Amino acid sequence: MLLGLAACGAQAAEPLPPAEAAAWLQRMADAPRRLAYEGVFVFQHGDAAMQSLQVANRPAVSGKDSRLTAMDGLQREVRCTQGVSTSLMTEGGQLKVERRLNNRHFPDLLPVNAGALANWYAVRLGEFSRVAGLDCQQVELAPKDVFRWGYVLCAEKDTALPLKAAMINESGRLLMQYTFAEIRFGATPRSAPAPLPETPANARPVASERVGVKNLPPGFTRITAVNRKLPNKSNEVEHWVFSDGLTHISLFLEPASHPVESMRGQSKLGMINMLTRQVGPMQATILGDAPWPAVEAIAMSLEARLPAGAPR
Amino acid sequence: MKSVTTNSMHTPAPAQAHEADALAVSALVDGELDDALARPLLRRLAPGGPERECFREYSLIGDTLRGLDHDMPDLTNRVMAALEGEPTLLAPMRKPHRQRPALWLAAAAVAAITWGLWSAGPSPESPASLAANPNATPAMAANAPGNVMPYLAAHQDFAQAVVSPPEMRFTRVTLAGTGQ
Repeated sequence: MLLGLAACGAQAAEPLPPAEAAAWLQRMADAPRRLAYEGVFVFQHGDAAMQSLQVANRPAVSGKDSRLTAMDGLQREVRCTQGVSTSLMTEGGQLKVERRLNNRHFPDLLPVNAGALANWYAVRLGEFSRVAGLDCQQVELAPKDVFRWGYVLCAEKDTALPLKAAMINESGRLLMQYTFAEIRFGATPRSAPAPLPETPANARPVASERVGVKNLPPGFTRITAVNRKLPNKSNEVEHWVFSDGLTHISLFLEPASHPVESMRGQSKLGMINMLTRQVGPMQATILGDAPWPAVEAIAMSLEARLPAGAPR
Repeated sequence: MKSVTTNSMHTPAPAQAHEADALAVSALVDGELDDALARPLLRRLAPGGPERECFREYSLIGDTLRGLDHDMPDLTNRVMAALEGEPTLLAPMRKPHRQRPALWLAAAAVAAITWGLWSAGPSPESPASLAANPNATPAMAANAPGNVMPYLAAHQDFAQAVVSPPEMRFTRVTLAGTGQ
């Protein structure tokens, strides 16, 4: 990782002291929520084809009002407003509207309490660079353990808005990156988007927990636990999400209809790791854009819990 | 990248010493061993020494992986057969050690720990031991565990853009102590 990050910022200095590192992280986290901006960024996953997306953001009382629109391929859009995130996709002439569990998207990468990430990442300032015609400061986040990927961000010189973000694995290989191609600060008059159709919440909190987690990787907490309906699944599943604020790992739980064979899954570049196993009477599927040790650690920490009142 | 360290404060147990020697030999074969550590190790590679056998094995494996085994046509098969017999075995994460507060009160100590982590690479709390299990069935599984696309699609709620779920490859694994 050190080599990989060093390659992205040849003049990287010593890690910042914790307070200074936390301050940089917090500035980059706050910028996307307090600024109004519009632009187009390019997303690339490894060596796969690039995708262009249009983003518009305005600060709002509820946090932010943002709209993300895919400019290539299928018509897809994400709207975040009043704390609710909605995904819209048009396929075969049909509009599918779904609530999302998360209301962040690039360049809003970092969590509200981003300073705490300094506990898990060494933060270094790299070189000055230029992205979308703007000067920016490279900021490197190198994980202090095996449970997260590394990041190189480029924060706009005056506002600290991330103009570029690259995710890098432990070998220094680029896993994905987002880069603004053009950006304009300030709100501009624009036609209001079509109102969203009524979208009932498709997730409700988990009532009773049949599976427990003995210990999580350092810095990870459970941020979500809901029952939700998934496409092509007849019954609801439990969807839990664990996160350190930057890395997200999902756990899906459902009754096992037959003995579950333990399987490890990996995407082409190894960015997404997955494990399916049985925990008591439940099938557990753990996956995330996270290094294998993090997915494995959570998967191996699961244990079945006896129902309340059951003999021990 | 491997990390090889020496510790003159105590004599390691035989198993630890053997593991350290194997790591050092592996690093030497990969050209990743510091000169100062390489010289004494090279002196210990005398005929009949345990390090010499270890060095020979690592060199053969390295040659095989690099496709340089033409003079030993059976070697690839033997190495691959040995690997086939070693499926992934997953074990639970060790309980994290509680940090002693005193360690974190001293700024100098904090700086030293941070530097150490950077130098050694990410490894402080390796979550699971990956080990051979001769009784388990190895190999790649062509069939995915049911339809995983709904899970991948749902997890995209946490993607930073609107992206399609990727293709996945699956491997059967054995979980330590669970009978799975």
